[in-house]
Amino acid sequence: MEVTVKNLKRYYSERLVLDVDDLTMEKGKIIGIIGPNGSGKSTLLNIIAGLDEGYSGRVRYDEQPIDKEIYKEMTIVFQKPYLFRRKVYENIEYPLKIRGIKRAEIDERVEKIIERFEIEDLRDKKAHLLSGGESQKVSLARALIFEPKLLLLDEPTSNIDPESIKIMEREIVRFNEETGGTVIIVTHNMEQSDRLCDDIVYLEEGKVGH
Amino acid sequence: MDYIFEGFKEALKLLTTFNREIYGIVSLSLIVSTTATIIASLICIPIGIHFGIKNFRGKRAFSRILYTFMSIPSVIVGLMVAIILSRKGPFGRFDLLYTPKAMIIAQTLLVTPLILGLTYSLSKNRAKEIENIGITLGGSKKDIIILIIKELRLDLMVNVVTAFSRAISEVGAVMIVGGNIKYRTRVITTTISMMKSMGDYPTAIALGLVLLIISFAINSVIYSYSGED
Repeated sequence: MEVTVKNLKRYYSERLVLDVDDLTMEKGKIIGIIGPNGSGKSTLLNIIAGLDEGYSGRVRYDEQPIDKEIYKEMTIVFQKPYLFRRKVYENIEYPLKIRGIKRAEIDERVEKIIERFEIEDLRDKKAHLLSGGESQKVSLARALIFEPKLLLLDEPTSNIDPESIKIMEREIVRFNEETGGTVIIVTHNMEQSDRLCDDIVYLEEGKVGH
Repeated sequence: MDYIFEGFKEALKLLTTFNREIYGIVSLSLIVSTTATIIASLICIPIGIHFGIKNFRGKRAFSRILYTFMSIPSVIVGLMVAIILSRKGPFGRFDLLYTPKAMIIAQTLLVTPLILGLTYSLSKNRAKEIENIGITLGGSKKDIIILIIKELRLDLMVNVVTAFSRAISEVGAVMIVGGNIKYRTRVITTTISMMKSMGDYPTAIALGLVLLIISFAINSVIYSYSGED
């Protein structure tokens, strides 16, 4: 899914925090959004995710404005993920269940992704009791299970162990290569953006820099 | 002091010998308050969540009005229902006054603002994050409301129990709309009030003990389910 942003402005009580004239994030690529703290990275990601509607300007997804169908085709993983107060397995299957997918297919897909993320030992654990790294892996697995056309990641690997980072980066790249889904990742980590991203968007004081 | 101990002894005797009248009163109390709480919960929980997560003009004023109604005196609710159900009232033709149905209506109206207000407050503070996750995983409005109810179920259960406790322990509304008629509309609280006036302390204490046991049992179930100490 291609994302285009035009004349986007976002104010927080009269303070302009985001001012993007023209930005295109191409379909099928991994795009990194980098920049110092307070530069508007997460605000931009939340606007693209459809969670922040208090902006002026235009955001389009494959040239279409946001609607119910587009919400179903994209997802976001937050820096501090919220996992449901139920088992890991039930967390991961949730997006498939609400899409009415049959039980046999759900089981097959959940088992496959649990294996890929190497979280077999967590399958029956209560998700809200997991450690930071475990939570992030489960959260990413839950996001990837329905193969979205647009995956938004808000610093998904900050403060987690190197082994978990390795697994998550591997699965992000695999998702992008196998499904052609667009990935937009907000990160502080320049090395990570070098490793993962095809394009980089640099934000400074709410504006796209060069 | 003797009459208090005698009262307790007599109360235990009434309870252990399964006095028919006492158990009739207890079961009517449970039926009326449970039904009222269930009806109010089914209506108010989804509405409370909806208003809690929705941003709308006048939300602050809405909160204040709602919180005011949470503490509405039960006699006022009883009076309003009695006027509406009285023979000359708009629903007089249904002949509901002084029946258990009228008591259920009164208690439903009594606990409605309580469940609505508690659910609204809970959702305003905690449901936004869950709503965001529901949206970003592709959930419909209905999916998201169900998700929020499931995620906040323990807190919602505590709210429902709070409302049930208010219903079963109130005396004003059921006295006005029920009339405390023997074998028909007599419940624990109206009986305690009447027995105290008559000087029949053993029966009043017995029913008081039953109220305490009901509260303890319900709270024990809720807290053991939630895993709290």
